[in-house]
Amino acid sequence: MQLEHHFEVPASRAETWARFNDLEQVVPCFPGASLTEVDGDEFTGSVKVKLGPISLQYNGSGRYVERDEAAGRIVIEASGKDRRGNGNAGATVTAVLTEAGEGTAVEVVTEMDIGGKPAQFGRGMIQSISNKMLDKFLACIREKMTDSA
Amino acid sequence: MTVTEEHAPEIGKARARKEDARLITGRSRYTDNMVLPGMLHLAMVRSPLARARITSIDTSAARSAPGVVRVLTGKDLTGEQGSMPNAWPVTEDQKAPPHPAVAEETVNFAGEIVAVVIARSPAAARDAVELVDVDYEPLTPVVDLATAARDEELIYPELGTNHSATWVFDSAEAGTGGDIKEAISAAEIVVERTFRQQRLIPAFMEPRSTVVDPTGEQLTVWSATQIPHILRVMLALTLGIPESKLRVIAPDVGGGFGGKLQVTPEEVITVLAARHTGKPCKYTETRSETMVGAHHGRDQIQTLRISAKADGTVTGLDVHLVANMGAYLGLITSGIPILGAFMYNGIYKFPAYRFECTNVFTNQVWTDAYRGAGRPEATFAIERMMDELATELGMDPIEVREKNWIQHDEFPFATVSSLEYDSGNYEAATAKALELFGYDELRAEQTRRRESGDVVQLGIGVSTFTEMCGLAPSRVLGALSYAAGGWEHAQVRVLPTGKVEVVTGVSPHGQGHVTSWSQIVADRLGVAFEDVEVLHGDTQVSQRGLDTYGSRSLAVGGMAVVAAADKVIEKAKVVAAHLLEAATDDIEFSGGQFTVRGTDQGVGFGDVAFAVFAAHDLPDGFEPSLDSDATYDPENFSFPHGTHLAAMEVDTETGQVRVRKYVCVDDVGNVINPMIVDGQVHGGLAQGIAQALFEEAVYDDSGTLLTGSFTEYLVPSAPDLPSFTTDRTVTPSTTNALGVKGVGEAGTIASTPAIVNGVLDAIRQFGVSDVEMPCSPSRVWHAIQAARVGSGAGTGHTGTGGEEARR
Repeated sequence: MQLEHHFEVPASRAETWARFNDLEQVVPCFPGASLTEVDGDEFTGSVKVKLGPISLQYNGSGRYVERDEAAGRIVIEASGKDRRGNGNAGATVTAVLTEAGEGTAVEVVTEMDIGGKPAQFGRGMIQSISNKMLDKFLACIREKMTDSA
Repeated sequence: MTVTEEHAPEIGKARARKEDARLITGRSRYTDNMVLPGMLHLAMVRSPLARARITSIDTSAARSAPGVVRVLTGKDLTGEQGSMPNAWPVTEDQKAPPHPAVAEETVNFAGEIVAVVIARSPAAARDAVELVDVDYEPLTPVVDLATAARDEELIYPELGTNHSATWVFDSAEAGTGGDIKEAISAAEIVVERTFRQQRLIPAFMEPRSTVVDPTGEQLTVWSATQIPHILRVMLALTLGIPESKLRVIAPDVGGGFGGKLQVTPEEVITVLAARHTGKPCKYTETRSETMVGAHHGRDQIQTLRISAKADGTVTGLDVHLVANMGAYLGLITSGIPILGAFMYNGIYKFPAYRFECTNVFTNQVWTDAYRGAGRPEATFAIERMMDELATELGMDPIEVREKNWIQHDEFPFATVSSLEYDSGNYEAATAKALELFGYDELRAEQTRRRESGDVVQLGIGVSTFTEMCGLAPSRVLGALSYAAGGWEHAQVRVLPTGKVEVVTGVSPHGQGHVTSWSQIVADRLGVAFEDVEVLHGDTQVSQRGLDTYGSRSLAVGGMAVVAAADKVIEKAKVVAAHLLEAATDDIEFSGGQFTVRGTDQGVGFGDVAFAVFAAHDLPDGFEPSLDSDATYDPENFSFPHGTHLAAMEVDTETGQVRVRKYVCVDDVGNVINPMIVDGQVHGGLAQGIAQALFEEAVYDDSGTLLTGSFTEYLVPSAPDLPSFTTDRTVTPSTTNALGVKGVGEAGTIASTPAIVNGVLDAIRQFGVSDVEMPCSPSRVWHAIQAARVGSGAGTGHTGTGGEEARR
């Protein structure tokens, strides 16, 4: 499942880039997410999601796969498994930052792979819930960047 | 049989079922109702992944959870759990992976059991399942059948292929017909089509449940199964338990449809759990577990070529199947498509026939018997082909069938697929169906609607069918490499008061055998219907049997009952002669009375029963018992047949399909209880129509079952179905004394092609040549749209699974 988002922040590309590379700033923006440990390009943490009748808590790890400041491109890969054996989930988030006037345009493409019970029972909900969560995530980031701008 | 006027025959009477009063007033006893002292409860940890290596399982948190007694993994059971049995190696070189009840190294479908929690309550067990931490290393799942068949990614590298077996029947080699290549090269017309038999889920009403009590001298197993006798043998063989130490009971069982014709991992696990803990153990699955973990049905790709003369006379049929086994071979997984091999020629006289089936593994739950088992697939394909041939030749679908079917005066008929049909009258059943249907009027309406360009178009679907029922002559099963025979056993016990107990080896789970067997025995022995008690489903009571499936119970099990009752009469005649001071040869028996031929001297069945019980005055050397056993091995299958007609309305703007009228005339031979027969036909029709219009098990590319609940898997209910017009013709079977043929699968088999043929008949005018099942509004609409824009893709195919089009 691929989700695409586009937004602009009133901050310079360099500032935005720095924000995007600061996990302590980025992760808490994701609804239900908490960061356990950061070690260089790698991190561990968890995400809690409620999908209709199913409550999930994915514990897992992630890393920056790519950080190309010149191209303004960041690729983060994360995967985890549900605490209660309901299945695995993975996501690859690719963000591309480009200058847009005073501010910065951000293109985010998220490739999500959800297996097990949520896929079985929540098929109709996954897309809309994922979208909503990403909306919240990006809105939070935008807000932070706007505040600091 | 002659009967006196006071005894109107029970056979043929629409008796209300004896079973029902108890079942509908809550006095039922299903397996899950069993409560034993100290009983423990099981819950399963199931793999969410379709294919993976198990790298570690941490059970420590689960083990220390409240109420948890033990947690078992595959590793804990290595060496004692064996491999789940497959009773039908279809070829000598059939390939199959080991199939442990609890996965040991790898999982191969989503839903496979990886660990078992045993706890003091069902809730504690289920809660602790969430605490079992399993690490998987995901492997590439192979979900699509056609992809699996290409052997690009091997599910079991050690087998070297995803192909389990290839089974071939060739009429030229078998000497039952001509050579298909010659037939095709000499043909005036050849029609080739590919059909998809979608995967179905046998939605029995009672989820599966097993209780095992290890505390007695015998290990007692209660299970929601169709096959208590086979289960006993298979548990003994799989687990190395002496068969004499096993007692299997199928108490009230709420439906099966082939879905409970299985020896399940859950049954094996419950036995092992009871053995490990020394306590009674119960496992009852949730509906979601049924959907992912119990075997599915159908799932084949069928490619057929039919050759014919320009006048519609068929000269040959060439069938190629790819059959989806799923991840493992269950009890008869491998044999299901092979059962269909004998039915592709249907009711027709085809001079040449070849059948080839390749059984292929995928990362899905395994397939196995589902109502009709191989024969609905065959009937669907040939009845769709007869319509395709009629279309190609511009003939009426009835006419092309008439041209090829076996005439009533040609029976017994040796078919091109090596069976001998004993009796039938296809002309009579078809004539009656056409009349009840109002065929000509509906055709006229169809023309009117077509001409006026009505939004709702009318289609008329035709299907005939026959099937091989009464499974089965043991010698035939032997020739097909099936592991067991096909006989059935019965015992008639005469109680001192003249009441009768009938023990049957078949195992009813909704079929009403208790009622039908009572009717048979009441007539045979001249006792009251109410005075016959039918006992079944407990290996301690019913000591021999091969259980219920394949429309076998009446044609085989009923005949065993007749044979046992006849032995009782023979014994009783000796006693009656003694009591009446006459020669045994002069004793006649009718309506429960033994009389001396040509006199008014007589003695009742009850008096003879009491005399034998007292044993005060019996002939010298007479063993004081009338009880009799019989084991009946049928000499042939039985061949019910029928003609089904469906008037289908298709809304060409929305793709919505409606069954406007459904008529079927079935010939199931003699009828014991017409109400039970009607019930079987109605239920069968609902299931067959469901395949045509509603049901499909859909997996996504990663092997997750997306139709994992009844909100996604559409089982029809009354509002989705029309009122059926059912009728019968009666051409008795000539190979059994009851003249019966079997009715359990009839409705399911003929209705699917009748419905799809009807849908196509409505929309062929737009250039649509096929709609893949289920013919959902989306698929029908897409097929019409595609055909209308002239892309030539008006087939309603949406690729495997058809996920987008399913809604």
